Amino acid sequence: MHLQSKILALVSVACWHVAVFAQPMPANGGGAGQDRGVAARTGAGVATADAGMPVPTLTDQLDAAARRPIASAASAPDGGTLEPSLSDQLDAAAGKPVPATGAPPPAAAAAEGGSRFFQSLNPDISVILTGAAGYGQRAPLFLAGDDPDLKGGTSDHSAGITLQELEVAFQSIVDPYFRADVFLTIPNMSGLEIEEAFLTTTSLPAIQVKAGIFRSGFGRENGMHLHVQDFVQRPLINSYLGPDGLRPPGAQVSWLLPLPFFVQLTGEVFSVAAPDMLANFASPEPVSTFGGGRRTDLTYAGELKFFVPTSESLSVFGGLNVATGVTPGFAEGDTTLYQGARSMLYGADLYVKYKPPNQAVTYISLAWTSEYFLRTIGATGGNAGLTDGGFYTQLVLQIARRWFVGLRQDLLGWPSSEVQPLNSRTTLNLTFYPSEFSKLRGSVQYDALDSQASRVQQIAPSPVNSFAAYLQFEVAIGAHGAHKF
Amino acid sequence: MKRILILFAIAAGLVPQWASASEPLKVVTTIETLADLARRVGGEKVSVESLSHGYQDPHYVEAKPNLTISLHRADLLIRVGLDLEIGWLPILVTESRNDRIQPGQLGDLDTSTLVEVLDIPTTQLTRAMGDIHPKGNPHFWIPPVNAVRIAKGIAERLKQLRPEAKDYFEAQFAKFLSDIKGRAREWEAKAKPLAGMKVVTYHKSWTYVSKWLKLEEVSYVEIKPGIPPSPDHLLRLVALIKAEKVSALLMEDYYNKAIAQEVAGQTGAKLVPMPSDVGARPGVKTYFDLVDAILRNLDGVIR
Repeated sequence: MHLQSKILALVSVACWHVAVFAQPMPANGGGAGQDRGVAARTGAGVATADAGMPVPTLTDQLDAAARRPIASAASAPDGGTLEPSLSDQLDAAAGKPVPATGAPPPAAAAAEGGSRFFQSLNPDISVILTGAAGYGQRAPLFLAGDDPDLKGGTSDHSAGITLQELEVAFQSIVDPYFRADVFLTIPNMSGLEIEEAFLTTTSLPAIQVKAGIFRSGFGRENGMHLHVQDFVQRPLINSYLGPDGLRPPGAQVSWLLPLPFFVQLTGEVFSVAAPDMLANFASPEPVSTFGGGRRTDLTYAGELKFFVPTSESLSVFGGLNVATGVTPGFAEGDTTLYQGARSMLYGADLYVKYKPPNQAVTYISLAWTSEYFLRTIGATGGNAGLTDGGFYTQLVLQIARRWFVGLRQDLLGWPSSEVQPLNSRTTLNLTFYPSEFSKLRGSVQYDALDSQASRVQQIAPSPVNSFAAYLQFEVAIGAHGAHKF
Repeated sequence: MKRILILFAIAAGLVPQWASASEPLKVVTTIETLADLARRVGGEKVSVESLSHGYQDPHYVEAKPNLTISLHRADLLIRVGLDLEIGWLPILVTESRNDRIQPGQLGDLDTSTLVEVLDIPTTQLTRAMGDIHPKGNPHFWIPPVNAVRIAKGIAERLKQLRPEAKDYFEAQFAKFLSDIKGRAREWEAKAKPLAGMKVVTYHKSWTYVSKWLKLEEVSYVEIKPGIPPSPDHLLRLVALIKAEKVSALLMEDYYNKAIAQEVAGQTGAKLVPMPSDVGARPGVKTYFDLVDAILRNLDGVIR
């Protein structure tokens, strides 16, 4: 292209821009420097076009359209235009006023950027869909509420496809004093449940209050939703906290100790509802730890959490937990045993994570989580007290940017009791995250039971030890959530 | 008894502690560049801490509980905004139990409100486009004009938090402006020969630098923001780099270099890892070091 036509085209670009954007030009413009550049070009434009009405010919407009870069943010170098020196640009930047404190950016500031983004005071909404398919030689003895339910019985194959969970979340800041989080869930297509619905204070010094329905801070795993879990199923010890973990209506006060490192003390009180059906010695439902007694028998929990940032790459996060309530007991034949007995649950959890912060060095990371629960049920009606417990320990190794391998060992009934026979589960899985918003997981597991235990003999599962395999997918749409450590 | 209770409440941190005028303001920033600018403007009247390090990808910082402690005591939180920190900061701010730095408070400074934001989407977004930032491109802190805007915003906010030190903060900002203007001529001279250079960048995060230095971004190694490239995207990219005679492949130090190295090796384009934040490399200790390092690295391409 000849130099002359190049200049002509440039001039017409300038004119066209001025003509199109003449009206919405913000009062304080794109900085003094930029204004000067535009002014210089406009002057030239007016000189060549008809006086007062700088309308370029269609040919010029077509040329201009052809020259404009395709919606790429990188501006193509435009040779020859007058540009103020960097020093002048810096002065101009220093001279422009700063938008008011705390206020959303004024219209002018947004207009400078090209367009305004849509303002809405609706809560952030997201939907998480988890699907699972699998096969088991028999159904697991019991399922947590959001474990995949592939039906079948204790002596019958368990297989099929299920929508493991559908979760809908609404989250927002309420006002300068509170925020609110609501999570509705439909596990295994069974009906709408409130997974959590609570307010959190944001303006109290040092302490924070939560109220509503929320996941208790007891242990590590109980606080987690399905989509942040590293395995298809919850750990077996989850059954000590209830069929869906410990998330009844209640209130929580947590206090951040005034120390140079993270130590948090939490106190909780809950109104745990009685189970729909009392556990029976001859069927596999776990004996409920809480939810018995009168309505005035509340469940109390306390947790101490501490964090040790050993180094940039290695972190240690631990907790000590205790909870007390009243057990509804269980049925054996025609009698109900341990009804109204005081139950205590003690827990200790440890999370050790190795992850070098610089991903250019390596994507490899390793997370080791272990939790131990010990439960006691007081002596009642001539029956001696019961003590049982269990743990899980798991390793999750990140082998590449989007690939993770997980290995978990569950051991429930360690120590064992009359109601809690020894149950071991070993799980190995592989997870692939196509993006931050989707995941695919394959998992195999082996369940083993103490065939000599009287409760196992009563339930008579077949086979006693069983193998199962699962495929799981998960997608999240809507607002981008933050990830807890 | 009452006195003992009050003393206990203070010890327990249950009574808010208003920083006394003689004590430095506690400033917490999300990235190290903002920390350096805050130190320059705040001088001896602030103590500054950054939640992330320059060698980390600011999209993916782990929300470790010790960061809660830093935020708990902060008088001012300075963040990038535009959802850059959305994966980790909101949860920390909520758990900080610090009403001074909650969104919209005087102690919360979103620096994206201070600069001209680029890449604001004008069409309907879907995540099929990758992990896009619906409010615009948040990687804006490198060009000097934006650094001045951010520093000015910090100065204004510090003045509001400590009105009695107004003159001090103004003088500090004036000093910063004169320091940065002192370097302007040299930077301009170094930038001039770079204009028009065709580049491919790893993530779409050099937009502001490209605009400042008039680099022409031809394509990106990531097929879409946050999504690693597929083999056929890489084949197309290699062909494009050859056809467009792209001279450099720019990427942040914190990305894994294996894929980019492969592309560079097949095309003859020069792989240029660059620091994108203060602290990204041992020698990059200040904002000025950061700009110097970027210009030096780009200068290496044309030599």
